[in-house]
Amino acid sequence: MTTIDTPLTTTVNDAAPLPARPTISPAFAALRQFGRSPAGVVGAIVLLILILVTIFGPQFYSIDPLDLVGAPFTPPGEDAWLGTDYLGRDILAGLIYGGRATLTVGGVAAVITILIGVTIGSLAGFFGGAIDTALTKITEFFQILPPLLFAMVLVTLFGQTLTTITIAIGVVSWPTAARLTRAEFLRLRNLDFVKASRAAGAGNGHLILRVVLPNALPPIIVSATLAIGVAILFEGGLSFLGLGDPNTMSWGLMIGQNRNYVLDAWWTVMFPGAAIFIAVLAISLVGDGINDAINPRLRKRG
Amino acid sequence: MAPVLSVQNLSVSMKGSKGPVPVLENLSFDVAQGKTMALVGESGCGKSMTALAIMRLLPEDFTVTSGSIVLDGEDVLAAAPAQLRGLRGNKMSMIFQEPMTALNPLFTVGDQIGEVLRQHRKLSHRDATEQTINFLKAVQIPAAEKRVHAYPHQLSGGMRQRVMIAMALACRPKLLIADEPTTALDVTVQAQIFDLLSQLQDETETAIVLITHDLGAVAELADDVAVLYAGRCIEKGTSHEVIAHARHPYTRGLMACVPHLHLGPTTRNARTELEEIPGMVPPLGARGLDCAFLPRCTFAGDVCRSQPQPPLDIVDAHAAVSCWRHQEIAP
Repeated sequence: MTTIDTPLTTTVNDAAPLPARPTISPAFAALRQFGRSPAGVVGAIVLLILILVTIFGPQFYSIDPLDLVGAPFTPPGEDAWLGTDYLGRDILAGLIYGGRATLTVGGVAAVITILIGVTIGSLAGFFGGAIDTALTKITEFFQILPPLLFAMVLVTLFGQTLTTITIAIGVVSWPTAARLTRAEFLRLRNLDFVKASRAAGAGNGHLILRVVLPNALPPIIVSATLAIGVAILFEGGLSFLGLGDPNTMSWGLMIGQNRNYVLDAWWTVMFPGAAIFIAVLAISLVGDGINDAINPRLRKRG
Repeated sequence: MAPVLSVQNLSVSMKGSKGPVPVLENLSFDVAQGKTMALVGESGCGKSMTALAIMRLLPEDFTVTSGSIVLDGEDVLAAAPAQLRGLRGNKMSMIFQEPMTALNPLFTVGDQIGEVLRQHRKLSHRDATEQTINFLKAVQIPAAEKRVHAYPHQLSGGMRQRVMIAMALACRPKLLIADEPTTALDVTVQAQIFDLLSQLQDETETAIVLITHDLGAVAELADDVAVLYAGRCIEKGTSHEVIAHARHPYTRGLMACVPHLHLGPTTRNARTELEEIPGMVPPLGARGLDCAFLPRCTFAGDVCRSQPQPPLDIVDAHAAVSCWRHQEIAP
């Protein structure tokens, strides 16, 4: 039975002309659609610039963000372009180096959020029944905990390091992603092509990862993008409350350490605040652009 | 020769708020290699449930309460999950009603047919694609070398159904279940799909369970027919016999509902009203022991009202019917 005896002899009609348009993958179609959304493109460009600055900036601007380069509270000008903070550290250097930590925390925390959320949500939505009930209860338990308070407790317990902060943000943010994924899986699992795949012999693992998950991805991608923004804000919030990692420069930490002097030296808080604002705004714009690009109701056929 | 598929006394019920509700009662039929069995009946009579029970794909609230399903010597109802995965798509496969939604929109048709071959035949990606092109040619898809890279939304309904057929037959299954394979298609395409199915059946010797309410298709394709009503088989036999000499009032009613086209000059009789069967299929849970068709039957008599529905009475070698008065109705 293992030999395959093709072809089945049949008459083949003369080749009908194929549409001239080449076959394009859904991912490519979405990318093309993304290019048509001005907000998304602007967001993507701003985000790209921010990332490039944090990666390559230190090579062009060699002042160490922790060095005391001048008098405390030097206003923006000749000596320090964006001024210095309460210890006399350079604000611009802080922005360039701090962006690395902030964006990394945002990205990694979003990955943790999505990994936990999608795993729990997909298992709950796909299997239903008792598994769904149990996982939904767990999700709800995490959801009713006030996220900021919960994260503060975790950071206080396990130490004020960037790793702990990142994990804490991921651990408190996943319920939204889980609920979203569960809803998508509930919708998709009864569709014909999932049944057809099962009828063709696919197992649960294959169905979850290769059949249902790819179709559930659009909203998950959007929520992942937005989760980065939320995580950055979260890091800022924790730092503002004094729970940042004091040994690693980040935008949130800059705001947190200078918050008492905001009325006397606006630049110490204003510039890192603006950096966070711009980063989160850019990420939101990108998220909206992706949403428009992969939302089938907005996409033109083909 | 042993039949490829043997379904004996199959009963399926649904979990209801007041206990199990029977959906399918004591259905038995055999399908031999290369033969086609048609399951006919109105919506809600249990045709699709039979198909799903055979594939072990019944929805959550439905369970098989009794009976046996044996496919090529293997007990389908007792199969472990791994064994079941080996059967599905390999020894038995299914074509769905809606070709528009039965293909995954995110993968090319070549990927999806190839997937079946890669899983069951352990073919490499390249070999699977090569085979897939052959299959697409076999189901008469023009320019198969290009179409193999097409996404489902780039194909018409008829094309997609051909892809589904190619996918279903890729591993040369012993049994193919076609659940209303043409209901969603144009009339002209319907004929093509039926032709294709019967042609492929001749080549592959696959047994087919055809679920349909197209009696024309039954006459053309099927060797045997089982007519289902409210979850019970009420008439069974060779398709020739059942169509030529329908015995059960319900089967006769179904036949009368098929429109006939008249060519030539209009005669007075040409504008006859199309018949219908008055009433509705009784809803699940409202089915008692007496004949389920009784409220709609124009032949119903005292015996029907006083006795439970009779078991299938074997009339002759080619037909069996479950009706008290079949001898009076169709002598």
